[in-house]
Amino acid sequence: MDEDAFLRMSGVRKTFPGVVANDDVDFSVRRGEIHGLLGENGAGKSTLMKILYGLYDADGGSVHLGDRRLNLDSPQDAIDSGIGMVHQHFKLIPRLTVAENVVLGEREPARAFRRSGSDSADSWLPDAVRDSRVARALAERFSIGLDASATEIEALADDYGFDVDVHAPVRELDVGERQRVEILKALYRDVDVLVLDEPTAVLTPTEADRLFETLRALADRGIAIIFITHKLSEVTAITDRVTVLREGENVGTVETSTVDQADLARMMVGREVLFSLDRERVELGDPVLDATGLRADDDRGIEALSGIDLSVREGEIVGIAGVSGNGQRELAEALAGVRSPTAGSLSVAGTDLTDESTRTFVDAGVSFVPEDRHEYGCAEELSVMRNATLKAFRDGRFDDGPFLDYDELTRYAESIVDEFDVRGVHDVREVPAGDLSGGNLQKLVLGRELARDPDLLVAHQPTRGVDVGAIEFLREALLDQREDGTGVVLISEDLDELFDLSDRLLVIYEGEFVHETTPEAADRERVGMRMTGGAPAAGDEAVADASASGAAMTDGGETGGESDAEAVDTAGTEGGDAR
Amino acid sequence: MNVSVELSARKDVPRWLAVGTPVFTVLGALALSAVALVALSVDPIAAYNTMFVETLTDPFGLRQTATRTVPLVLTGLAVYLPLRAGLWNVGAEGQLYMGAIAGTWIGLNVSLPMVALIPLAVLGAAVAGGLWAGIPGYLKAKWDVNEIITTLLLTFVATQIASYLVRGPMQGGSGNFPGSDLLPDAAQFPAIPLLDVHAGFLVGLLAVAATAVLLARTRAGFEVTFVGSNPLAGVQAGMSTFRVYLFVFLVGGAFAGIAGFNEISGVQERLIPEFSPGYGFTAIPIALLGRNGAVRVLLAAAFFALLFVGGSKLEVAYGVPAALVDVIQALVILFLITAEFVKRYRVDVELGREPAAGPAGEA
Repeated sequence: MDEDAFLRMSGVRKTFPGVVANDDVDFSVRRGEIHGLLGENGAGKSTLMKILYGLYDADGGSVHLGDRRLNLDSPQDAIDSGIGMVHQHFKLIPRLTVAENVVLGEREPARAFRRSGSDSADSWLPDAVRDSRVARALAERFSIGLDASATEIEALADDYGFDVDVHAPVRELDVGERQRVEILKALYRDVDVLVLDEPTAVLTPTEADRLFETLRALADRGIAIIFITHKLSEVTAITDRVTVLREGENVGTVETSTVDQADLARMMVGREVLFSLDRERVELGDPVLDATGLRADDDRGIEALSGIDLSVREGEIVGIAGVSGNGQRELAEALAGVRSPTAGSLSVAGTDLTDESTRTFVDAGVSFVPEDRHEYGCAEELSVMRNATLKAFRDGRFDDGPFLDYDELTRYAESIVDEFDVRGVHDVREVPAGDLSGGNLQKLVLGRELARDPDLLVAHQPTRGVDVGAIEFLREALLDQREDGTGVVLISEDLDELFDLSDRLLVIYEGEFVHETTPEAADRERVGMRMTGGAPAAGDEAVADASASGAAMTDGGETGGESDAEAVDTAGTEGGDAR
Repeated sequence: MNVSVELSARKDVPRWLAVGTPVFTVLGALALSAVALVALSVDPIAAYNTMFVETLTDPFGLRQTATRTVPLVLTGLAVYLPLRAGLWNVGAEGQLYMGAIAGTWIGLNVSLPMVALIPLAVLGAAVAGGLWAGIPGYLKAKWDVNEIITTLLLTFVATQIASYLVRGPMQGGSGNFPGSDLLPDAAQFPAIPLLDVHAGFLVGLLAVAATAVLLARTRAGFEVTFVGSNPLAGVQAGMSTFRVYLFVFLVGGAFAGIAGFNEISGVQERLIPEFSPGYGFTAIPIALLGRNGAVRVLLAAAFFALLFVGGSKLEVAYGVPAALVDVIQALVILFLITAEFVKRYRVDVELGREPAAGPAGEA
């Protein structure tokens, strides 16, 4: 065990029915370090941290902080011990202000009720009331005194360099700011250990960089930071040491500077992982998709697609790069027939499908892998079998007179589970889809879409939140499908992925394509620039270039004052290595 | 003394809990009602014996129970089917009345032999009930109008329409009491030979079988199940929530409508005001108890029928108000809700002394 360790988890064991999530795990973290916790989906990292945060009871083992052994029966115990956690899905209440969210669970009663004699001399309530136990109990339950806390929070935010208005309602904040509020919550409670669960999953590259700076600052102050991730690039970017978990066991803890991504991948998966895929030359066939002038609104009625022309041919993977929120979702949904365009036309394999129902698209051979596999991709309570046959069940081969041949459906589902290596399914009819881990569920979804042998596949973030082993599999599957003649639209935030898989690469920004290139000819820096609306630049010439020629010409005039500023900010700091 | 109650979300539901919920619910309700009985100085064991055992072992009691089961199972299905699609049909009572009206009208005004007249009347009742449910169904399907409100409010409209009709246009007999003319023999359900229960009972069983098959074995059933679990994913796959929602309401309403006519034809023999003691509402806990299968809906309906019949015996035998039956029904609903809650959360109650020596836990 590490003598320098401040937090020490020893021999932690946790089992769930059928699986050992943590198998005798030792894990230690020092003060002031950023310690990465790396592993595939299902490796046990979330479980370990949930035990640390009191959400789970370990079946065995102990947790020590400094010299003290901790009793972690609930998150309150963890917080009281100085452990804070920033979850992947924020626990914020949008209607309340930042200050109110930060003090949630630890609030002071209103000033008027504070005990007479202490610092609240000017209360308008008579002393008798203020001193009464009943009144105080009620006050503690039902009132809130924010003034002192708000000042404290503001000071805290300033201290750590967080630029946030403590009186602003959380719903007005963007994702990066909300995450900072979550961190503030932990800081307000004076944590010594801060755990972040896949924090960059919801951030843009710029926001991720800011987060890293913040974490560095916190670590410099002595806080021990645990950074859960499955992204190798993040581990090498920010961690001091990294612990790799695999199938419930601690495979090893290493100094980040002594390893490279290939080493880490090998530790995570237990074997060599290929980072570059063999993309064979495929002969391109007829166009499977022809979209012109597509316009579409988002859910709020604001235009999200502003005139998209896109054509995809058989055997071609067209990659679309862009930072989330630039119309990708609307584009994916329009191409799959889930969202009606407000203008423009769309045809698949020669048939005009503009304004047709989703069902027509499905019947016409369009497959869709949505961005959120839980919300749109599957019904979690229903069995794997029903989810696997979601789009195929109407097919005549499942006829049994007027009924559905459930046996045949079961066989079909089993073949998908087999072919796409979906693990954790002992019986397709019994296991609910929600029980599958992220990577396996995604394999199921992609499998179901590909098994239909589609003419066109629209894949939106197909490898998001998926572990390395499954990612490899999914990407190979996409390439295989391409060789079979399917045209693929691949929308992704992962530039590595796009460069590995695409035949052509487009960049979408604010609802339009602003750049087109191929992986061979592309300049990654430039692509990264385009993704954030900036113009490519090197050094200080950026300022003059961006405002003069670059911005105006190629971006179609979409860049306003804001994006120019962004271009200046991002020039030279991030480029295409965003992901 | 420090009492702390801790709620922790369950990661998975223990199998015994998931499967045994309906049983525990019923047992719990009966146990609590036993307390009420004791307070009335009645021996609960004897009372339940009378309510349940005697009723079931007596041929008359059995017949009564079977007869009561008919409207309950049909309205139960009327709530159950939309429930599988994720919707609430709270208006089975109103659909029942509309069906009764339509079926009675046909029975009184169309001259056909029984073999043709009864099916026609049943069909008419189904159409009336189906349309009555189709209105809220359409509103929900097209504009996402809350179906709980629309179905419920239309119930009041339906009962008022029935009330008006039997005092006005459909008023029959000598005009002294509100009610239609007696249904002709051709429109009255015959009794099933050995069981001596009216043939409407068979219609009920048929409906159960049809629903079970529909949901378990057809494409429509596949869609209903999927949309009920995650409509967003269903839409993305090309399913039409519009069609599914409309479908379940039309069919559900049809079942309730048939229930209404069955009661008139098999039991009442004429349309009278307020002939239903709230079958359409009792259908809700029945559908909840049987939420996992049409056959379970039948069992739940039979149980509630037993409660009805046995409950009136209680009044006769022990002077216990028949309202106790309402109490037991209410308790069943409360226990059902609690069971749902207990399925999702683990409740730990800890009693301990003030701060310093807190309860010891494991790491």
